[in-house]
Amino acid sequence: MALIPLAAHFDGDFVLKLLPVDTHHTMDEVAAAAAANSVGIHVADQPERTMRVRKQGADAPYERTDTVEKAGLTPTQCIEIYFE
Amino acid sequence: MALLERAQWYDIARSTEWAPRYVTQDELFPPELSGGEGLPDEIWATYDEPYKISYREYVDIQRQKDAGAYSVKAALERADLYNKADPGWISILKEHYAAVALVEYGASFQEARFVRWSKAPGMRNMATFGMLDEIRHGQIQLFFPHEYVSKDRQFEWSHAAMWSDNWVALGARHFFDDVMMTRDALSTSIFANFSFETGFTNLQFIGLSGDAAKAGDFTFSKLIQSIQSDEARHAQLGTPLLQMLIENGQKEQAQKKIDIAFWRSYRLFTILSGIPMDYYVPLGVREASFKEFMEEWIVTQFMRSLEDLGLSKPWYWDIFLRDISEHHHGQHLGTYSWRPTLWWDPAAGVSPEERDWLEEKYPGWNDTFGKVWDVLIDNMANGRMDRTVPGTLPMVCNVSQLPIVGTPSRTLRDISLVHEGRRYHFASEVDKWIFQDDPERYRHHKNLVDRFLGGDIQPADLGGVLEYMGLGTVGPGGEDAHGFAWLDSYRKQLATAG
Repeated sequence: MALIPLAAHFDGDFVLKLLPVDTHHTMDEVAAAAAANSVGIHVADQPERTMRVRKQGADAPYERTDTVEKAGLTPTQCIEIYFE
Repeated sequence: MALLERAQWYDIARSTEWAPRYVTQDELFPPELSGGEGLPDEIWATYDEPYKISYREYVDIQRQKDAGAYSVKAALERADLYNKADPGWISILKEHYAAVALVEYGASFQEARFVRWSKAPGMRNMATFGMLDEIRHGQIQLFFPHEYVSKDRQFEWSHAAMWSDNWVALGARHFFDDVMMTRDALSTSIFANFSFETGFTNLQFIGLSGDAAKAGDFTFSKLIQSIQSDEARHAQLGTPLLQMLIENGQKEQAQKKIDIAFWRSYRLFTILSGIPMDYYVPLGVREASFKEFMEEWIVTQFMRSLEDLGLSKPWYWDIFLRDISEHHHGQHLGTYSWRPTLWWDPAAGVSPEERDWLEEKYPGWNDTFGKVWDVLIDNMANGRMDRTVPGTLPMVCNVSQLPIVGTPSRTLRDISLVHEGRRYHFASEVDKWIFQDDPERYRHHKNLVDRFLGGDIQPADLGGVLEYMGLGTVGPGGEDAHGFAWLDSYRKQLATAG
């Protein structure tokens, strides 16, 4: 496992944010880390809905249990996080 | 003693051309410093500056300009503007002086390089006056804020900001180094004189001058009018060069220089002009919105000067027209959210009345940027101040050096490429195009995030970033300009709602 910086685009936010994550983190953990920088700060919370992660521009999200390593994300690559 | 009319001696006096015998032309005017490759040698003597002036006339006029600006300042010093003006206006002064004064000093070097390296004798003559202009602008814009230093230490940034690694200073230096300090004389004149000065100093100096007078700051209004009268003269240095390029089959090269400089200038001025005009200028004295100023000074007037030369609008014109309604709103949210990283105290500018104005000027603002402000305001009105400053950094553009922002849920996206193993990020397709056009020029620079990830900033947290930028050491950082007093109406709404 290793630390890797990503670029996070949380849907509803106005700015891309630097997001350090661990390569063994699951997408649910990545979404939670991104939410800590956006939800309740720049984006309104939607507690009844699940957060999902996808590669920028992709139609489908990653599986929630996929790890950063499995997703093949590279340093500072941009991911989108959104409420399902 | 009777003096000859200027026209009777001017051409002789400015003709400083000679034929070198001990060095070659390329040694006297190295192409990398002088530019103009492919233009015939005889063309340089035909350079005819649109604005002519003698040294005697110049000194007399400049003395009068200085006397006017300094006497207004002296007369109004006891008016106690600092304590009487709206804090939003004081923030504009802090932002302006620190972003502009030392850059003007740099511009004197730009003009001095024309004096030495331009192949056109008429341009060398006129650039001498341009160099003196810029020295004056540097000095006067350091002297004027100095009266406020004893009242407010943030005014110390007027002298310090450009020597620091503050993120706004990094962006400004990257831009001005690119367009003003690191290109040959001919290119620099098109980048800096024609594109930047003709287009954008009008916006800042004339646009803000009217707001200043309405805000009661006649000192600042007089100062920037005085400066702009110089800019309007030496900004014309580039026009004859453009004509030479166009007439000698280099129209495409001329157009590209303008396209690069125009976009880079515009994006920097979203911070310098866009945010102040739409958020800091007190609502009651706003002359026009940033978009309206852009439409008057840039879309109409600057484009007319391009058309007069037979040049075209930049290829990204549609992108630009959309951008003037949105980009600076995102940058305002960014600067306000990361306000401890600023050398000035940002005004929020989002009271209910101000939001009505924003919605009128930018239809749809409340449903996009306004929703982000709703979250910020809810936190602030409920005392959750720790939730109002993000705990991470924004991603930053590798060309503009500004945060990568966009309209929420509409236009925000990452634009990146991998060049020789390194991923670069851009705040627009135009920034990416600028990089791709000349990667060797830009690839080695490290933006703030690159420095953070590369270990240059320690400790690697917000505190370390602030220290790296000089916040708290060089000078104090920013907090809400009005001490959050504008939240009262929202607090009342909360209390009424129970």
